[in-house]
Formats: sequence, C-alpha cells, structure tokens
Amino acid sequence: MTFLFVNLLLTLTWAAVSGSFTVHNLLLGFAAGALSLWLVREQFSAARRRIRPVKLLLLAALFFKELALSAIKVAVMVLRPDMRLRPGIFAFPLSLTRDFEITLLANLITLTPGTLSVDVSDDRKTLYVHALDCHDPAAEKRAISLGFERRIREAFPL
Amino acid sequence: MAGDIDMIMAIAVSLLLVAGSVFTVLAALGLLRFPDLYTRMHAASKAGTVGSGLLLLAAGIHAGETAILLRALAGFAFFVLTAPVSAHLLAKAAHQAGYKLTNLSVTDQLPQSKQKSVVI
Amino acid sequence: MSAAEILSYSIHFAAAALSLGLLLTVLRILRGPALPDRLLGLDMLVAIAIGFIAVIAIKSGFNLYIDIAIALSLVGFLATVAFARFILARGLSPETEKGRETMPKPRHGKPARRKHKGAR
Repeated sequence: MTFLFVNLLLTLTWAAVSGSFTVHNLLLGFAAGALSLWLVREQFSAARRRIRPVKLLLLAALFFKELALSAIKVAVMVLRPDMRLRPGIFAFPLSLTRDFEITLLANLITLTPGTLSVDVSDDRKTLYVHALDCHDPAAEKRAISLGFERRIREAFPL
Repeated sequence: MAGDIDMIMAIAVSLLLVAGSVFTVLAALGLLRFPDLYTRMHAASKAGTVGSGLLLLAAGIHAGETAILLRALAGFAFFVLTAPVSAHLLAKAAHQAGYKLTNLSVTDQLPQSKQKSVVI
Repeated sequence: MSAAEILSYSIHFAAAALSLGLLLTVLRILRGPALPDRLLGLDMLVAIAIGFIAVIAIKSGFNLYIDIAIALSLVGFLATVAFARFILARGLSPETEKGRETMPKPRHGKPARRKHKGAR
C-alpha cells in the first residue's frame, strides 16, 4: 500500500520535473519509479514506520532556518580578522536508536551553525561532533538534544 | 503590469545571484583562512552548499517555467542532502587516517586508537 | 534602471565573485598541505563550478545548463566519496611529514605502519 503510494508520488514528481503530463510520460514515470523502488526494496520494507507529516514539516522548517543561520555565521566568522576559533571534537550521547534517525541527525548537525558530525561509535550510542567553538560542549549537547533530536523523535514516533 | 512582474522577477533573481555568489566566495576565503582541515570543512560544507544552492535557485526562477524551477529545486535538495554526507565521510577518513586537529583545539574526544583496526 | 540592467549588473557581479572564489580555492589546492585539504578544495571547486553553470544558464537563457549542473553535482559527490575511501585505505600521506614538526605527538608507530602499507 505504502509502496504504491510512494510510487504514485514518484510518478507525479517525474511528470512535474520532465514537464509533460501525457499518458506515455506518466507510464514511463511509473515504470521508472517502480524500478527504483524495487532496487531499494529491502531498505524500504525494513524502514516501515509511522510519520507525523506536520511535525516533519516543522523539522524541515527548522532545518532551513538553521541552514541559513549557519551559512551566515560561517560567512561572518571568515570575515573577522582574528576569527576567535576554539575548535574541538566532543562526544554526543545519542538517545535515538534507529539507523535512519541517526543518519538524519548527523546530516542535520552538519548543516547547522558551528557543528559538523565526524563519526558514530560502533555501538551507535555516541556521535562525535566537531564544533568551531567548543569551549562549552555541554551547552552544544543540550542544544542538539533539545532541538533536532526532540524534533526527529516527534516526527518519527516509534 | 507585465513590466512590474518582470521587475520583481529580475530583483529576486539578482538578490539570489548576489547572495549566492557572496556566500560562495566567502566559503572559498574560509577554505583559505581556517587553520586546519576540520574547520575548513565547516566553511565548504555550509557556506559553499548554500551559495551554489542559491545560484541554482536563481537560475530556476529566471527560467520562468514550473518544470525547470522544480528541476532546480531537486538539484538544490540533492546538493543539501549530499554535501553533509561527503563532508562527514572526508572528516571521518581524515581523522581515522591520523590527520591532527589544529593546535588551537580545546578537546578531541574521538578515540584515535580505533584506526589500528582499520586495515582495508 | 530597467529590469534587464539590474539583471546584467548582478550577473557580472556574480561571475566576478565566483571567479575570485575559484582563484582562492585553487590557491588552497596548491598550498595543500595534505591530500584531504586538496580534496576539500576539489569539492569546493565543483561547488563553485555548479554555481558558475547556473550563472551562465541565466546569462545565456539556455535552461539545459541546469541539468548539466545537477549532473556535475552527482559526479562531484561520487568523486569525493571515492577519494575519501582512498584516504581511509591509505592512511597518512608522506607529504604531512613537514607539517608534523609542529605537532610532534604521533612520531612513533605511524611511520612503521606506513612502511608496512608500502610493502604490500
């Protein structure tokens, strides 16, 4: 069921991107969508989950806000004569457990102000984050766990 | 009326162009000014991504067709999705290979001993 | 000022800024000091090239350029991933010997490991 829904969504995207809504093009899009879904079928069926669309949109909005802020912050920092850097790598204890959540969090962290995820420990309990200003790792950790981590948990309830 | 819309479009595209190119050139400057690989990566992966993304968006809006705008948006989304992955992979590889952080660094809690197990 | 004039000015500004960005990035690639830094510069070069292609798409009006930019971002991402894997597999490069003077910590152990790698 979800398979068909995602396939239809892909078909519509295909038609919109290629710019024509003829029957042939829709059929071609459907076939291409089915093929690509078939290629990722294992990850797809393993990742069966509930999603809260509104919370997901909130997460996306927060992400774009943070992305803009981080680009501006880095730009300002580059222009500062002395830069005042105190970089370092701190360990962030993960409370998220599933792989796709950790991946999402790592990607979000990389594109937010002053932080860049470097590595995940083998037991998936710790995320190592490089920060441009690392004189107060506790504050950074709190910001991540109260910001993105909470939003991700809300958007993808167990 | 058509002239007004043209004007608004031109101003929007111009703003995106200027903002995107400023971000890109600042990212390049950051690449040059930051002291070590990991801090440079901040500049490249944030400001660089936003800069190129804004320029793509400007091209999409300027075209004035929904299909092309959507294509540009897809390119932007792809860029935003892949930039952190490549930055993350590069940082991880460099750290495991043993490239050090700058002397200014205050902490490094990522264990270095792990690299001994990495023999590919 | 007419819409076309504004657009033309901002296109020229963007092209100039991106050229400067390319120059700065090339400077970083030349300076190194090690392979990951150069790789980051290469990544940035691709990002700037994508921005440039978007600007050219606006200037010339050929919307096909946007597809080219997207394809280039795909190739650039794959290249970065491949290079990162290479760094992971190879470990420290010999050219970091000079940079090591300032950070003398891993003097012991590492050279032996590299020799072992070279013998393979």
